[in-house]
Amino acid sequence: MGPSPSGSTSSLAKSRVSMQKALSITNLSFTYHSYGENVCDSIFEGLSLEVEAGSKTLLLAPFDKGKTTLAKIICGVCPKYFPGTLEGNLKVFGNDLSAVEPWQLLSECTYVSQNPQEQFVANSVEEEVAFPLESLGLSQEEIKGRVEAALKHWGLDRLRTSSSQELSGGERKRVLLAVTEAIDARFWILDEAFDDLDQKWRDQLKELIEKGNKTILVLASRYLAEFDKLFDQVLLLDGKKVVSPVRKELLCRFSQLCQDDLANPLDSQVCAPPVMRQLVCTDLVAERRRMSTLEEASFKVHVPHFTLQSGELVTLVGPNGSGKSSFSRILCGLDGYLGGSIQVDGSALSGKELSKKVGYLFQNPDLQIFLPTVQDELSWSLRRRRDLKSEEIRRKVEHCADLFGLSLSDTPATMSYPLRKALQAAVYYLLERPFYILDELDSALTYHTALSIIRDLRQNGAGILLITHDKQFAKRVEQRTYSIEKGRLCAL
Amino acid sequence: MTINTFVAGKGLLYRFDPRAKLLSVLLLCIWFFLPVSLVGLYTVVGLLVLLGAINTGFSHIAKTFLSILPMLLFMVLFMPFNVRDGESLVTIGSFTLITAEGLEQAVRLAGRFIGITYACTLLFATTVMQEVMLALRAFHLPYKAGLVVTLAFTYIPFIAESFSQIAESHSLREAESEQGKRIFQRLKDLVPTLTSALVFALRSIPNLAMSLELRGFGREQKRTSYKDLSSYRHPFTHILLSCIMLVVFWALFRVR
Amino acid sequence: MQQNRNALKVAMVAVLTAVVVVFTLVVRIPTAKGYLNLCDVAICFIAFTFGPWSAFIAAGLGTALADLISGYAQWAPISFVVHGVEGLLIALIVRQKGNEAVSFARKLLAGLVCIATVSLGYFALSALFISTVSVAAAEIPGNIAQSGVGFVLGLGVSSAVKKAYPPVRSLAW
Repeated sequence: MGPSPSGSTSSLAKSRVSMQKALSITNLSFTYHSYGENVCDSIFEGLSLEVEAGSKTLLLAPFDKGKTTLAKIICGVCPKYFPGTLEGNLKVFGNDLSAVEPWQLLSECTYVSQNPQEQFVANSVEEEVAFPLESLGLSQEEIKGRVEAALKHWGLDRLRTSSSQELSGGERKRVLLAVTEAIDARFWILDEAFDDLDQKWRDQLKELIEKGNKTILVLASRYLAEFDKLFDQVLLLDGKKVVSPVRKELLCRFSQLCQDDLANPLDSQVCAPPVMRQLVCTDLVAERRRMSTLEEASFKVHVPHFTLQSGELVTLVGPNGSGKSSFSRILCGLDGYLGGSIQVDGSALSGKELSKKVGYLFQNPDLQIFLPTVQDELSWSLRRRRDLKSEEIRRKVEHCADLFGLSLSDTPATMSYPLRKALQAAVYYLLERPFYILDELDSALTYHTALSIIRDLRQNGAGILLITHDKQFAKRVEQRTYSIEKGRLCAL
Repeated sequence: MTINTFVAGKGLLYRFDPRAKLLSVLLLCIWFFLPVSLVGLYTVVGLLVLLGAINTGFSHIAKTFLSILPMLLFMVLFMPFNVRDGESLVTIGSFTLITAEGLEQAVRLAGRFIGITYACTLLFATTVMQEVMLALRAFHLPYKAGLVVTLAFTYIPFIAESFSQIAESHSLREAESEQGKRIFQRLKDLVPTLTSALVFALRSIPNLAMSLELRGFGREQKRTSYKDLSSYRHPFTHILLSCIMLVVFWALFRVR
Repeated sequence: MQQNRNALKVAMVAVLTAVVVVFTLVVRIPTAKGYLNLCDVAICFIAFTFGPWSAFIAAGLGTALADLISGYAQWAPISFVVHGVEGLLIALIVRQKGNEAVSFARKLLAGLVCIATVSLGYFALSALFISTVSVAAAEIPGNIAQSGVGFVLGLGVSSAVKKAYPPVRSLAW
């Protein structure tokens, strides 16, 4: 079955060329498997992408357009674990992806997920870093050496025996980066790698990308300042394909795709609440919930003065760990407080009474999903009230679904992330609370989508407290701002 | 929710080889079922408690005993129903409340229960879970089984934390109705929270499987191990010591 | 090519075991046996939604681990056997190909088997290894109630989860 002499040289030449490409995708089309009545739209159609070995590439894509799907396809785990139909030709360092298992690419390709929690397989940080090295069959000294170096490089030495539950978001990202460094594969796929990291670590990551001779593909949905001059190739995921326009055009088109050029939805909204209500906190003192067992000093939450009125939009900014969530939990009645008072319209409330007035939208929208369709989810709370007829319930549900852009027959558990966030907001909208607390709404959503959700929630004149650590986002919604640090809240 | 059974300390038991510890606990459990005298039984229990006190401190012992107290009380409560015939010790009217044999049986069962439970508790209090798993692997527990247990321990806090958040989230959503409902209604209301919690947990299964494969699980080459038990330098001595001790206890206290 | 489902099986059993442990330790009402809890809800859910092997291992291992963690070590092997068999039997009874609903008769049978396994199993094994016949007998009513309620709730939760999260059907083992 040997090739003819002329045939062999040409195939050798071809293989030499293909060996140089770290990644070679031709004509990729992918559609997720649909479970309900709604047939899923295809994610990619005829997508082609090439990455040279040793090059640094940036692929920009707005949220929810298939960025993570693409990364998972490249690693070979999609459609294996995320059912769908895949067509096209994919090669990683010459290996045809349809013929290899994901573990065979261990020393070729490493993927750092956007959501670190889903990638943890071990009980402690050092075991996490050691796990893939054990799979590679390295000797114990070699493993120890690499683990020590990686932990030290990412400042995780103090945390070596902590479990993932005890770490903050930024620390978890650093663990994944330490794992990646320890494995030392040739090709790194970093999904939103710079997110969650403090400036010091962003600089370190930037240096790592610049100096090394690894092939690096960074996937991002926001163009960060760090990206300037860092990449050889900047691509855009536009219309289910990858395109590479000129740099200036690219950024312009990207912000178009993120709908950044649309008018701020809040600008045109005139908010005239039917009833003016007021939420006032005075001299509030509370014990802060302990986040991890490694904290050195615990501090109390102290709020000298805080007000929120119907129709108002107030932001609360603060670094991670400053007590934002603790304050919100107290404000909506989930946790108690030691001193001071929270008053709505003059009467002091706490616990369940407070929960009826203040709605708290957790950052994770999946905490409440349990029904088969959007219609069921929205009608559920309404059905429990005795004073509504079923016809009226149906009307309200339809109006609400229209407002938030939801389709009534969709299955919540398989909807995309922005739609699940919108569903969460829709559920709370129907609860008709006078005040809402939105916890980190802007993470994993385009600014436009987040602002639209806020606009929709304000439709009935609710007062909104927005918690964020993204100052850019806060600027777009600024009316009044509070900042919180080490538990002390003060107005800006 | 804390699932950490380990209590930090520096005593002798912490330096004892985990494989020997595992073996001695197993042998102890068997020993408690052998026909030994009551005095002997309680002597061994006393020695265990003493060992525990030296190594883990009294508060740990207090906590352990507090948690098994309900069971012990229950056993004592049912003493009248044990061995019905035999010499009676306490009678009310013509009803024999406590027989000597019944008393002995209750005391023996209580002692055995305390002994076995405390021995296992002591094992987990002085040995880090990772080393327990390594010791089991030394006794030929297959790698996949060990991995399943380790992963389960990793996911328990995650699922517990999400469960409490889900419960809170649902209670926020239905702050409307609440007061005094029949237990049937209460259970029905539990269904949404349980469903959400289960869907949440199930979604992590494909991600975990994906991560395992991305980290190399499934390769044909043999895996090496980052940590092992080589820091314990005298495994054979410790194992021998455990076996000898148990043989001694058997010889001393067995009922002839 | 993608026939090797080992990682999926390991992931599935690990997460389901964790689920059983959480359900067992989350609600605790102290009684003589130890505590009354929701473990049977979790076990029946797993038996209805997944297959016999997952049910056996997750149920047995999960309850045994829960016993070890909470300090009731002597019950661990007994829980492993009793709940493992419970999960296995229920899963075998209600197992079927395709998506048709299970007949009421089969559900009833599964319910009876569940209650019988738990109460008789615990009775027999605790009478033999832990305490006396009378003490073990006193636990029977509690076990019957817990497993009966657990079965009904597990049934309800299972159908709700299948509707809310359709991809679960492809995970059966």
